[in-house]
Formats: sequence, C-alpha cells, structure tokens
Amino acid sequence: MTSTFCDERRVIRSPWLGDVEWDPKCELFFPHGLPGFEDERRMIPVEIPAQRPLVYLQSLEQPQVCFVCMPVLVIDPVFRLSLSDEERATLAIAGSAAPVPGRDVLCLGLLVPSGDTVEVNLAAPIVISLMNSCCLQTVAGSASCFRLAPDGRWVAQC
Amino acid sequence: MLVVRRRVGETIVIGDSIEVTIIEISPTRVKLGVMAPREVSVTRQETLAVAADNRRAAGFLGSGKVDGVLRMLGRAEA
Repeated sequence: MTSTFCDERRVIRSPWLGDVEWDPKCELFFPHGLPGFEDERRMIPVEIPAQRPLVYLQSLEQPQVCFVCMPVLVIDPVFRLSLSDEERATLAIAGSAAPVPGRDVLCLGLLVPSGDTVEVNLAAPIVISLMNSCCLQTVAGSASCFRLAPDGRWVAQC
Repeated sequence: MLVVRRRVGETIVIGDSIEVTIIEISPTRVKLGVMAPREVSVTRQETLAVAADNRRAAGFLGSGKVDGVLRMLGRAEA
C-alpha cells in the first residue's frame, strides 16, 4: 500500500491499512490539528486504487488514528469553499479571490458513521493547500450535511 | 439570557478573569476578542459539534462498516 504522491520511503504500521510506505514530501501538516484531535499535526493521504474515491488520512503521530474521507466535489459538484483571512494565510493562498478546489486546494469531507451508512458535513471540510502542504479543517457557522443513500447517491440533509 | 449593548472597543467581564471585547462590527458579523485564563477552553459552538463528529469519524474504520459503504458507492458508479 502506498501513500499518494510519494517517492522516498518510510513506513508507518497502521492497524487499519497495514504497513504504509510514505515519502516525507507527501506529509501533510496541520498546524492546529483537527477539532477533537488537536495533537494530530502530521498525516499522510493514502489512496487504495480499488477503493477510489475514498482517501484515507493516516496520522503519523498515532498509528491508530486514521480518517476516511472523500473529495467534496464527488459529494456536491457545486461545492464552494469559504475561508477566513487567517485560514488563507495558513494555507499560503494569495489574493482575495476564492481558492479553487483542485487548482489551489484539495477539499476532503470526513466520513462520519451514521447507522449503516455515513454522513459528511461539507461545512467542515479538510482543506489541503497545494502551495505549501499545510492543511486545516475549516468550520462554517451552520452544518451542511450529506448522507449516503443505499443507492449510492449523496442526499442533502441540512 | 443576559443581553448587553456594546460598541466597538468596549468590553464585558465574565467572573473575575474573562474579558470579551468587541473588536469589529460588520453588517453580518461581529469580531470578538476573548481574554481568559489558559485553563479555560474558548471554542466556537459549531467547532465543538465538529470535534464530536471527528471523534465518531475516527471510529469508522473500527466499525466494520467500510465495506458496506464501498458497496453503496459502487452502486452509484454502476
């Protein structure tokens, strides 16, 4: 299993993904961690080709911490990202124009288990800067929840 | 709920050691500055909800439900 975008090798032993080889150049840095996981500052993105579009965010601090994510545009093709000035500075996004997912940043939604399915709050995406590999989880004022339906469609909940 | 009218630059004090100052007011937002002892957690309400979601998200891989979700996602592509 390999981390995305990698070359030079290190290995982390994940209880979920097995031994994952990763390159320091692929490391993602969360200066403030994530809400509820403020000490998780170093992660790597892991893709398993057969499981696309899932993306795993594997902590390098604690191997047992691993999140399952999905690109937000897969869930909501008209997703618009809004960032504060402080968040833009953290991500090294210049200018005042809205950052474009896929060009300036990558945005991932965290899959939260809910019964037999999952929900994603698109008001709290993980934002990965393509400029400096810094990341944060931005939190908008009101939730924007999507739920995965049995037929595989994402249905807006709130 | 206690309701207090304040202007930019004015402060309210909570207890002996917490100060909340109005930094900036725009038509839709208020920017607050909070000074509190280090041991007092100051968090936006919605961030607390996201923290709870994140803890549930971290338990997803241990729930044994990933395969079911992958099957559902596969149906969308079929």
